[in-house]
Amino acid sequence: MGKIIALHSYKGGTGKTLLSVNLAATNVRKGKNVCLLDLDFRAPSLHAVFKASNSEYWLNDYLNGVCEIDKVLVDVTHEHGRSGKFFVGLANPATEAIREMSAKDRKWEMRALGRLLSLKTSLLNDMDLDYVILDTSPGLQYSSINAIVSADIVLVVTSLDASDIKGTQRMTRELYDLFDKKTGILMNKVLAEILSSKKEKAKFYKHFNNIHKLPILEIIPCFCDVLRAGGTYIFSEEKPEHSFTKTLDKLATKIEKF
Amino acid sequence: MAVYKLEGKSTRILEKIKECLDRLNEKMDVMIEIQKHGQRENLEIPDVLDVMTLLSLPDHLRKTAVTLCKLDQATAEEVAEQTKRARAVESGYLNQLVIMGYLKKKRRGRKAYFYVEKEA
Repeated sequence: MGKIIALHSYKGGTGKTLLSVNLAATNVRKGKNVCLLDLDFRAPSLHAVFKASNSEYWLNDYLNGVCEIDKVLVDVTHEHGRSGKFFVGLANPATEAIREMSAKDRKWEMRALGRLLSLKTSLLNDMDLDYVILDTSPGLQYSSINAIVSADIVLVVTSLDASDIKGTQRMTRELYDLFDKKTGILMNKVLAEILSSKKEKAKFYKHFNNIHKLPILEIIPCFCDVLRAGGTYIFSEEKPEHSFTKTLDKLATKIEKF
Repeated sequence: MAVYKLEGKSTRILEKIKECLDRLNEKMDVMIEIQKHGQRENLEIPDVLDVMTLLSLPDHLRKTAVTLCKLDQATAEEVAEQTKRARAVESGYLNQLVIMGYLKKKRRGRKAYFYVEKEA
């Protein structure tokens, strides 16, 4: 059976969306059938990556109980598939929709959790997908905690920022541990000079393993080329030989065995 | 022939007694939980089983509640299969969650089903 993976972080701007999109594309390239869902209803992003701003149905509609998940999913296999199937579910980027989603009450959030939990059956069983990747909003928000509860694996994206490290430690104790989630850390935007030698890299791994008390699944260096691309295309798809793409290949293999 | 009739009747009576004992057992669980947690009036404030509530529950109840959310509707036995804890333990926890107002319980035949009330 496939797995649901949620990418989460304490702070915004850690690179969750970039890593979600490229991890999904990497798995598709490896022949896996993948569905990528944008659960960041406060700042939707995937519509820009996949250039689909006029969807008939959004994930907002699925959570509202207006439609079933098959109406929301956009098949992007033709444009972005290599070996596997690739579906995306987008969050509505309209200001009115963002405002509406941030004003939902607790009863609605409870029903939304039920709808997300049922994706395990509809996507992993019925559609026979290998991975459902959830791109979440940062911090302790309803939509992101709902995603964490629904996921089999949580990947926490952190930077080297001191407040981000402290916040991630707190979330590990007060969120991921409480839900017994299989959790791994992705250290993103790490300066290349810190990882200058194998010895330095090993020291870095050990240091952050002790800090987070969680496995550091991957250290992703800060690549100027990735920043330069500005999210206008799927980097790992366009640059298969780039170090960033190779790092994600390694990460995808690690997740398979995680 | 008369012996078979008598045996059939005895089986039905025994089944009825077992059913009554099961119900009694569940009522006892509820009473024990009420005793453990003080007055029923204080516990009957209806609440919503959303993720913030799940975070605030003690570990043992959270595990039961999350499992029930995943199953949507289940008996204590079905929850126990997932949590790998004893049926009687899960029955106690589920009844406690009912008392706390987070879950509902309904009977279908001899089985008691627990579920989250999702309608407004």
